[in-house]
Amino acid sequence: MTAFRRTPAGGRIDRSKSLAFTYNGKSVTGFEGDIIASALLANNHNIIGRSFKYHRPRGFLSAGLEEPNGLFTIGEGAETVPNVIGTTTKLIAGMKVKSQNAWPSPTFDVMAINSLASPLFTAGFYYKTFMGPTKKSWMFFEPFIRRAAGLGKATADKGRERFDTTNSFCDVLVIGSGPAGLAAALTAGRAGLRVVLAEQDCEIGGAFLSSKLEQHETWRNEIHNELQSLKNIRILTNATVQGLYDHNQAVISIGANRLEVLQAKTIIHATGAFERPLVFNNNDKPGVMLAGSLRTYLNRYALAPKRRAVIVTNNDSAYDVAFDLAEADVAVTVAECRAQPSGAVLARAAQLGIAVFPNSGIADVLGNKQLQAVKLSGRHAVTIECDVLGMSGGWNPVVHLTSHGGIKPVYNENIASFVPGGFAAGQFGAGGVMGQFGLLQSIRDGVSAADQAVAYLEGKPSKNKVVEPAFGEDRAYAIEPQWVVTGTDKKAFVDFQNDVTLSDVKQAHQEGYKSVEHLKRYTTLGMGTDQGKTSNINALAIMAEMRGETISATGTTTFRPPFAPLSIGAIAGRGIGKHFRPTRRSPLHDWHKNNGAVFIEAGLWQRAWFYDWAGPTAETAYIQEMQLVRSGVGISDVSTLGKIDVQGPDAAEFLNRVYVNGFAKLPVGKARYGVMLNDDGVVLDDGTTSRISDTQFYMTTTTAQAGEVMSWLEYLLQCHWPELDVHVASLTDEWGGMAVSGPKSRVALQLAFPDEDVSNEALPYMGVKDISFGGTIVRLLRLSFSGELAYEVHCPANYVISLWSHIMQAAKSLDIKPYGLEALASLRIEKGHVAGLELDHRNSLDDLGLGKMASTQKDYVGRALRQREYLQAPERWSLVGLELLDEGKKIRGGSILFSATDEIKGHGRGYITSVTWSTELNKFIALGLYKGGLKHEGEEIIAAFPLKNEQVRLKIVSPHFIDKQGERLHA
Amino acid sequence: MLEAHSPLAEAETFTANGVSLSETPGFTLTQFAGDEKALKKALGKLPKTVGIALEHDGQTFLRIGPKQLWVLGGDAKAGDGVYLTPLSSGRTRFLLEGSRARDVLAACVLIDFNPTHFKSGQFVMTGIHHTPVTIHCVGENSFHIYALRTFALNVWEWLCDVANGLN
Repeated sequence: MTAFRRTPAGGRIDRSKSLAFTYNGKSVTGFEGDIIASALLANNHNIIGRSFKYHRPRGFLSAGLEEPNGLFTIGEGAETVPNVIGTTTKLIAGMKVKSQNAWPSPTFDVMAINSLASPLFTAGFYYKTFMGPTKKSWMFFEPFIRRAAGLGKATADKGRERFDTTNSFCDVLVIGSGPAGLAAALTAGRAGLRVVLAEQDCEIGGAFLSSKLEQHETWRNEIHNELQSLKNIRILTNATVQGLYDHNQAVISIGANRLEVLQAKTIIHATGAFERPLVFNNNDKPGVMLAGSLRTYLNRYALAPKRRAVIVTNNDSAYDVAFDLAEADVAVTVAECRAQPSGAVLARAAQLGIAVFPNSGIADVLGNKQLQAVKLSGRHAVTIECDVLGMSGGWNPVVHLTSHGGIKPVYNENIASFVPGGFAAGQFGAGGVMGQFGLLQSIRDGVSAADQAVAYLEGKPSKNKVVEPAFGEDRAYAIEPQWVVTGTDKKAFVDFQNDVTLSDVKQAHQEGYKSVEHLKRYTTLGMGTDQGKTSNINALAIMAEMRGETISATGTTTFRPPFAPLSIGAIAGRGIGKHFRPTRRSPLHDWHKNNGAVFIEAGLWQRAWFYDWAGPTAETAYIQEMQLVRSGVGISDVSTLGKIDVQGPDAAEFLNRVYVNGFAKLPVGKARYGVMLNDDGVVLDDGTTSRISDTQFYMTTTTAQAGEVMSWLEYLLQCHWPELDVHVASLTDEWGGMAVSGPKSRVALQLAFPDEDVSNEALPYMGVKDISFGGTIVRLLRLSFSGELAYEVHCPANYVISLWSHIMQAAKSLDIKPYGLEALASLRIEKGHVAGLELDHRNSLDDLGLGKMASTQKDYVGRALRQREYLQAPERWSLVGLELLDEGKKIRGGSILFSATDEIKGHGRGYITSVTWSTELNKFIALGLYKGGLKHEGEEIIAAFPLKNEQVRLKIVSPHFIDKQGERLHA
Repeated sequence: MLEAHSPLAEAETFTANGVSLSETPGFTLTQFAGDEKALKKALGKLPKTVGIALEHDGQTFLRIGPKQLWVLGGDAKAGDGVYLTPLSSGRTRFLLEGSRARDVLAACVLIDFNPTHFKSGQFVMTGIHHTPVTIHCVGENSFHIYALRTFALNVWEWLCDVANGLN
């Protein structure tokens, strides 16, 4: 029966600091320095979860990041964190640890009944079993499948934890702090380079941490101390390099909550290697572990198998485990897959009383829910009762990061695994990742890699290299690969996390999934939180055998970021809640906020939607505000409009080319409405542009297109017309503006600026004048978006609140009040002005009824392509006005338009772009795009809104609902 | 007289975690555009490259692109072939300073703010939280940040959030 005991001394735990925590609600204790896994094993919690599909009992396989089984949910309520890896997570006092995918407990799990149906759950069972009998079957089955085969459940509640991101730079990034990484970091650091040493463990040292030799610890300490003393070296622990990108950019997760983007000039990969399991019957039973992990649990966490351990291996590295266990008074038997292990290890084994059975292996693992005994294969087919079985199928270099840039790893026969297939410029490898598994060789490699990095950066090798320690020569690795133990008549697992067995791989091959990429997707092998760190190489070797090809020819699946699981919170960082996206505020924002405005998001802008003087909701308030403008005077914030300063001797010529209508002869002191096309001949934007002087124009754009128009103008000047002497600058933030609208607006302005003549003669429709007022420049523009007599008043944004307040105060006797975005947008519908909803980058000038504006006397951007047949087709969806015929009903924006005789189905003949209640007509009106446009004026049509199953009758009318002659504008 | 109003009128100076963030209003910023010869004639010595500010005659000159300069301070006077655009209202200036100021900037922008790389007098045109900013190093650990006025409060809150999270 699987059982561990704490050793009386040794390890890196602090026995004086006891840590109480709960596991599935029960109190448990561990020690400072424990990880969740070691604390649970010390308390004989050996079955810690259930497998993905079959709900087989599972225990810890490893002592590191590669762990496929030991996933837990930590915390509760809003602080719940699922899928925490128990073999890497440090134990903290008070931690609440819960097992996953098991109910009511891992030791007794109701869903274990799945095992009885295991013939159903073979490779590709999703695709075969749940796709019928109807097309929607999968939709029915999926929730049940997800519930039965799942990982932890994330909470939707907002936790208190802070997530953050940052950026950094260095000359040398060393990934991994094992022997190679330590040597590399110090050598580079001594050369004076800015070094970052990133270690995913909570301590630096890598393989040294699993060693009990004092000389190893002494060397590790010496190097660590010197690294800490150098100011040019930054040591990151709990820091997993999750991805490498172009130009040596690394993304590193630090702890659970922090992400760092690190731009390195060079990178040294010292990521080491993961031990590989062996594939044999019942190799997933709790108690079957990677051999190297037993050494880690023993030497780092002071945790030894209670009495007896069996080690099965095909290489010499596992003898280090066997020797350390034997020295800790564990009876050890080695099932040696090779015929002839080296004399040196056999001699040492004999000294320690370790029985070694060559030409052997594991025929079966016996035990009910967990390991009780193992049955050896080969000549020595004995059954041995034991506490644990340690397996070593060799070591797989951690090549993942080296291939993120697209360089595939290559198979190396000498180590029976893959090594990096090369490196991007400025990247180097050292130690285990290069297939060098000895300590001394790794240190040499680390020094050499750092030397190369120094030479790459400075053109000469480093002078003060780390001196090689006197550890004694490395033992040979001596692997003889063994991919499958023969006689696997029971479940022999290749991928522990996804419950993929040897027979699944065989079946996939038989069914034609012969590429490793297809194998992965068909069987789910290599997916999940561990991404096949322990399974991939075995799987593709087995696949290669079945295909009768070399492993090299079979190749690997693609390694992609992230290297290890990381929280979504760390990726999101600070960009959550109010920082989810930037917020843009008008220079009048504070006035609005303090004077009853209700805000609405419009793009990034926070805009005053309506004001409480007009009513409690937008539905009623905007009508009051419209009536104010139609009958008196209102003031509205138009600061969000794009504003662009266009200057230079060629400014008029430039604008003449940009707009479809003429601007070359626009007089100083006059504004003109203009429309610009993109080079496809489609409408890009509209707005008014005023001539301030012979060489200066003040352009306004729609709010939505301000940035795009600015970029467009820059592009045209820099790429198409560099010969024009024109300079553009955005004034959107520099200038604020307000519309003063309504029949009493002139009086209001006159009251506000008593020294200025704003009469119709002095400031006619589309007139512009700059005045000096209150110590600053104020621009008066006789423009109207509402269709009423109206002005826009612009000034530098610092003073716009003060100016607004002044106008409000001056025109108080006129009962001037503010009106918001809803009323602003509704007034323009009555007038028939197009806006962002109509200018959607799909419509031509003619679609919008603006074709006649285009000059025939000059060239302009988009002129040629607006003439193409597609844009001139007579049946294009074109702008129409719409009036509601059904009393008591309303029109909904986005409704699909049909002719009265159409079947209400499909995309119809157009749609409604903008809707409002018309205070002038006392009915709902709308603008829309309709096939054939105003050719159908007077016709009755249908507007359908399928989401609410509504249909209303409309009449097609002119889009200019009010003041068609423009008398109000010119008043 | 019209009164100036800051977009940060309701924000309070931030001081914590080795960082101080305050607004420094009342500056004059003018964009000068024109060809090199005309600019030189109007302004005198000009910075040669983007990224390094030049100071003379009580003014600070930042080259922001070909044929474009920002001039801080002084009276802006156009000359032949030189076109001025006042931008004093369009930008809000913060002073970020303190021993952790560079950490705050590093958390916002993928630019090397190490003191060996970003020294007094250097500036970068970049973005914080998706919005354009210009960061000008004005002392060992002191920086002027020019944010677009309409995004100023947003950038301010973002910087405070970053500074609050320093550990």
